[in-house]
Amino acid sequence: MERIEITAATVEQAIEKAEVQLGLSRDQFEVEVIKEGKSGILGVGGREAVIRVNPVTLPEKDAVKGVTEILDTLLGLLGVPGKVEVLSNEIPLALDIKGDDLGILIGRRGQTLASLEYITKLVVVGRLKAWLPLAVDVAGYKKRRRDSLQRLALYLAEQVKSRRCAITMEPMPADERRIVHLTLADDPDITTQSIGEGENRKVVILLRQG
Amino acid sequence: MKDLLEYIIKSIVAEPDAVKITEENSDEGLLIKLEVAPDDKGRVIGRQGRVAQALRTLLRVKAAKTDTRVRLEIV
Repeated sequence: MERIEITAATVEQAIEKAEVQLGLSRDQFEVEVIKEGKSGILGVGGREAVIRVNPVTLPEKDAVKGVTEILDTLLGLLGVPGKVEVLSNEIPLALDIKGDDLGILIGRRGQTLASLEYITKLVVVGRLKAWLPLAVDVAGYKKRRRDSLQRLALYLAEQVKSRRCAITMEPMPADERRIVHLTLADDPDITTQSIGEGENRKVVILLRQG
Repeated sequence: MKDLLEYIIKSIVAEPDAVKITEENSDEGLLIKLEVAPDDKGRVIGRQGRVAQALRTLLRVKAAKTDTRVRLEIV
């Protein structure tokens, strides 16, 4: 089960933040204090509190059943005919929605899929009272996207090396930027950075200095 | 539209009984007003409006299926 670290001015504030972030109430997770906060003078010399949060876990069998039912219900309510298939019944759970004409569930740059996944996670927390790492895919979209992003990243890295200049990619969501960073992490001649804010955040591939 | 929103919202709030959803038809499509307990407001909006944004995206999927437009207001 994934542990989450949370930082805030005080331990109490960190716990409150954890409740909001996880959508869990205090009795649904364990808290381990890593660093007590200290208030500085006029905001100088203060130290933030850090806590580690362990959500109470659910047996995997119940989790798979619960999550599948929730996703099924959401699809039914959305009026999108799709069949939920469990790709991995170990944590993190992986589910794929199969069916025809599911482009509407993916959306531009996978934005609808990201929303569906996020809402599914929130509903799962609310109904099953446990935070479960899970991934939702539609007709293998994310997998295909990952493969093509990896190929693109490797190709662009070669371009950067031969042209001796940096290349900036199109704006992408966080999980896709992560794929690019990870793909090129082992290349000794190249580094990657994310620049820009929010919707506009994008990866720059550049030569490693020195 | 209402049933979808109701299922999601009632799952994520602490006080499901305080959830009130009303629908209004106008020239600009469907207007949905969502009311929750004051303490639950943060949960349905989310950090930097992330939950509200995801809700709107899903409502748009359903609206597109029936060729309408939808607006969500959290009051």
